[in-house]
Amino acid sequence: MRNVLTVFKKEFYRVITDKRLIFTAILLPGLAIYVMYSLMGNAIGNEVEDISSHKMIIYTENMPDDLHDAIVDGTTPVEFHDLSDITVDDVKDKIYAGDIDLLIVFPEDFETVLDGYQDVDYVIPSVSVYYNPSEKYSENSYYVVTSFLGNYGYSINLDRHGDDLTIFNTSLEKVFDENKESARGFAMLLPMLIIMFLFSGAMSIGPDSIAGEKERGTIATLLVTPIKRGELAIGKVLSLSVISLMSATSSFIGIMFSLPNLMGSSGEMSNGIYGIKEYVLIFLVLLATVLVIVGLISMISAYAKNIKEASMLILPLYFVSIIVAVSSMFSGEASSSLVTYVIPIYSSINMLVSILMFETVPLHLIVMIASSLVYVAILIFIINKLFQSEKVMFSK
Amino acid sequence: MNTLEVKNIKKTFKLSRKQRKLDKTDEKYKVAVNDLSFTAYPGEIFGLLGPNGAGKTTCLRTISTLIKPDEGDIFVGGSSVITDSFEVRSKIGFLTSELKLEDHFTPNYLFTYFSRLHGILEEDIEKNRNELFKRFGIDEFMEVKVGDLSSGMKQKTSIAISLVHNPNFIIFDEPTNGLDVLTARSVTDYLIDLKNQGKTVILSTHILSVVEKLCNRVGIIINGKMKVNDTIENVKNSHPSKDLEELFFDLVKEEEEGVLL
Repeated sequence: MRNVLTVFKKEFYRVITDKRLIFTAILLPGLAIYVMYSLMGNAIGNEVEDISSHKMIIYTENMPDDLHDAIVDGTTPVEFHDLSDITVDDVKDKIYAGDIDLLIVFPEDFETVLDGYQDVDYVIPSVSVYYNPSEKYSENSYYVVTSFLGNYGYSINLDRHGDDLTIFNTSLEKVFDENKESARGFAMLLPMLIIMFLFSGAMSIGPDSIAGEKERGTIATLLVTPIKRGELAIGKVLSLSVISLMSATSSFIGIMFSLPNLMGSSGEMSNGIYGIKEYVLIFLVLLATVLVIVGLISMISAYAKNIKEASMLILPLYFVSIIVAVSSMFSGEASSSLVTYVIPIYSSINMLVSILMFETVPLHLIVMIASSLVYVAILIFIINKLFQSEKVMFSK
Repeated sequence: MNTLEVKNIKKTFKLSRKQRKLDKTDEKYKVAVNDLSFTAYPGEIFGLLGPNGAGKTTCLRTISTLIKPDEGDIFVGGSSVITDSFEVRSKIGFLTSELKLEDHFTPNYLFTYFSRLHGILEEDIEKNRNELFKRFGIDEFMEVKVGDLSSGMKQKTSIAISLVHNPNFIIFDEPTNGLDVLTARSVTDYLIDLKNQGKTVILSTHILSVVEKLCNRVGIIINGKMKVNDTIENVKNSHPSKDLEELFFDLVKEEEEGVLL
């Protein structure tokens, strides 16, 4: 135990006394996430604001006054023009170029035609709308104008048929847990991001700690000391786990504070919905997960000849984990099968989803943590064997 | 009991496809050392000479318990490297030629770290450190990060670290490699001190003049086999030129011709 502590302290000291490493491995992930997501949220918000405040440039022909007035009275600013001194083709060219947002052409005597809807020779009139879906202002103008056009048509129908048109009234009442709405957003994004950042944190220090010892030749000096290989493996894995956990916690804080900024434009999201219980559970899952991830990275690093090879061999594992994480992103709910909770990484993702959705099943949590500890024990056993292998330790 | 006995060790390595290609051979296995025997006594420096790939490093790694012999055994102060490897490790100080200390740490930190791994008591760590650091002139730089030290000072730090536990058996692989004359001299002087203290020193080097100057006895390994194992005087006298370098070249040439035949 004393030797485990000595190895642990040395590896830990290596990181915490290196300002650059503290910044890049621990502070930067959280800070970068916060800044990146907040900027993205602001950019999205600004874009929405920009579109909604843009004055729509709409060309019309034979537009009914009622519809014209309704659009002018709407929330989106608008500037109407008629086709008196420009042709339809020229307007279409300008829509294509993004200079005009929309053209709406009604048939001549549109309202008179509509009034004759009971005539035998009545033909339903056509309204032509031209817009450019690749231009954001034009596309928004299309949604605004077609919405008013729909309401205009509905009001005409009411005039024609009176209240007979109303078949039933709809009474809408939202019966839901407001917290769950936010929770779903977190549950969809957080697990994937957490796995990504746990991995990147461990990847930034793991290869240097073990493969680096081989590369520098210090492994021989270390292995001729009278300590057990297992003590060396446990000391390394534990110290790397604590550092990776610090890195992951930094990322987690960054995510929790920045997600409301990111999601602000598309819905309400508050990190205040979670209490101490959820944070403690998340921490437990992070701890169990980081042990497995560090164990895997340490095993690969012990096998690799040098840091470069270790980093290269870790990458496929990283991608597999991301794929597993992304696969659970869209379901928004945790698996109910107990077997799920013994599959490394996948179990962590499902557990995080269930905690974030306030649907934690204690048995699932116990199975997830217990299985992770078993995997760590197996990985430490393998690392121990690798440290004992002449071929692995001293091959060129 | 401070004798180090290497008894008929044999070590074979399986060659990877890449190694076979580099060595231009179809053989799947390479015998690194074969039936190698020698004894090093207290108060003497035993020099191991040999061209690159002769088996010197394999021999030193086997003595240091980093690898196990396929056949034979090595007894370090009576402890077998096969059955008592933990005991052997506490008796030996091993300096590998490939060692590059981590730049981030100071000599002081590394000395304490390796001392603790060797189970040295805190009060003894300080005593040993003061003694060794003063001997090598590291005391002034003990809080300077390794990355900021000169290559000579780095090597001296490596030597000090390999001796944190004041071992009776010292195994040094190319300790003066790449050092300037002054630093190399301080290292060789220290080896003489260790010898005079009654330690058993095994020194692997390419530098024949170092062997002639420091070693009491010499073993020349070529292609994994011990070709010569005797006192320096006897070895020199065994060749018409009475010159170690000439003898060494002749042995290598003889072996190469033998292989070709």
